[in-house]
Amino acid sequence: MINLLKIEWLKVKNYRAFIVIGIFFIVGIFVTNYIVNLFFEKVINESEASKLINRFNPYTFKYVWQTISYTSGFILLLPALLIIILLTNEFTFKTHRQNIIDGWSRMEFMHVKMLLALLFAIFSTVLVFIAGLIFGLSTKTDIEFVGIAHLGFFFLKALSYNMFAILVAIWIKKTGFAIGVYFIYMGAENIIAQLLDVWSLKIKAKGSFDPGSMGNYLPMNASDGLLTFPDNPIKALTQNSFPSNYPNLVFGIAIAYLILFYLLSRKKMISSDL
Amino acid sequence: MAILTVNQLSKKYGKITALQQVSFSVPQGSVFGILGPNGSGKTTLLGIVMEVLKSSGGTFQLFDEVPTEKTRQRIGTLLETPNFYHYLSAVQNLKITAGIKKRGADDIDRVLQIVNLTQRQHSPFSSYSLGMKQRLAIAAALLGNPDVLVLDEPTNGLDPVGIAEIRELIKKLAKEGKTIIMASHMLDEVEKVCTHVAILKFGKLITYGDVNEILINDDIVEVVSSDLERLKNTLINMPNNTHVQITNETVHVHFAAGTANLEAINKFCFENGIVLSHLQLKKKSLETKFLELTN
Repeated sequence: MINLLKIEWLKVKNYRAFIVIGIFFIVGIFVTNYIVNLFFEKVINESEASKLINRFNPYTFKYVWQTISYTSGFILLLPALLIIILLTNEFTFKTHRQNIIDGWSRMEFMHVKMLLALLFAIFSTVLVFIAGLIFGLSTKTDIEFVGIAHLGFFFLKALSYNMFAILVAIWIKKTGFAIGVYFIYMGAENIIAQLLDVWSLKIKAKGSFDPGSMGNYLPMNASDGLLTFPDNPIKALTQNSFPSNYPNLVFGIAIAYLILFYLLSRKKMISSDL
Repeated sequence: MAILTVNQLSKKYGKITALQQVSFSVPQGSVFGILGPNGSGKTTLLGIVMEVLKSSGGTFQLFDEVPTEKTRQRIGTLLETPNFYHYLSAVQNLKITAGIKKRGADDIDRVLQIVNLTQRQHSPFSSYSLGMKQRLAIAAALLGNPDVLVLDEPTNGLDPVGIAEIRELIKKLAKEGKTIIMASHMLDEVEKVCTHVAILKFGKLITYGDVNEILINDDIVEVVSSDLERLKNTLINMPNNTHVQITNETVHVHFAAGTANLEAINKFCFENGIVLSHLQLKKKSLETKFLELTN
């Protein structure tokens, strides 16, 4: 496995898009969170309305893990984009054929890309952890790890984004088309998810059955559903929470989708002409 | 041991049959040419053997075994087009090849030297000319000095000097005892370097075997005198000839391979009162044979 990764490293280390997107991603995480932080400090907390309730800074411990996991989630599109480019490039330049001709199995070719997806997800999570520490410590409070489970949700989301990118790239093969489909799907699923959420509320209001937020059962929203922006503590008190096993359900669904992405990618990779 | 055995191999692309129950085997140490016009299924056949295409039927073996990816690591293959990472240099690309093959990392300088790419070894692949790309692909196939080479149109895109160099290289490798499987649509290429040949047309195997038996099986003697009709009618009566005809103001007399005797012909004509102005032995032209086989 290390040997496979070494070869993958030889492929990407001199690839300009890899370096550029990598830098954008790292800078993006810090800049985005800094802007949100600034917005809270300068706009929301300075507003008249905020004087009525307790001041609330989402970038202090313990909220910081949840805030930063949620806010950084949007930037995960960048590593997913990179994965699509790396994989469809292989198809465009037929280097995937050459890799297999030279002595990789079709599964080795796919698995090393998935390994890369996993590493990107781990790297993203570590980066967000570091960013969380920096933002948290900048408010000069003691480190707290309450709510750090949100980093786990963030990792799950990163992995889902990356694995879905692999699935799309393997089935569509053309770089531009695959990127288009990926982003259009992301947008479309969000719209459908919101409609499903409204429907869920209607079902709940009608009778005894509580379907939860059905939008969260969709592939990309499942891993996303556990990430939310922390509510102002007072506002949070007024909201009735989901049943305690609801996160487990959504978590389980997200894992099930990951397995599905793997199986669908495998099916295409094993059976088709390359 | 057979290096490659294909058995009833078929491939369909929708309604089109690209390969139709092809069976043959490649003996160890041979230079095996797969000859056929464009679209005859040569690359499809090799693509199936190399696991990048899925067959619609039939089986194949490499080294008398059902192949795995480990088997492919032992073979140097150039299939269809040179496939490399366009932003990487020759050396960086060959490092990837060596990594996948698990051998040849210390062989990169040697193979680049063989194909004359040493000077440009650090330029990105995207800056290469077609011929240079082809030469890099040949270098990649040679990496790690494999005992078996599969070369699909190896001289594609090369200039005449390059073509001659590659042919010499193939002959040299064959002398070292390597088995070379070469697909080509160029007859003279196959004739010049191959010991065995399989001829494909529309995905069907027309014939295969020793190149001398298949491609050259007639001696043709060109004979000219002042009266061609009389010459022809005389020569028809000469023993051992298989066929006599007049083509382009010349009488062509066919004999089985290796049996034509120019002295005997000259003597026979002279005894029948004909003086020859032209007498020359010609092997049957490969083009003619190829057209005959594939039409």
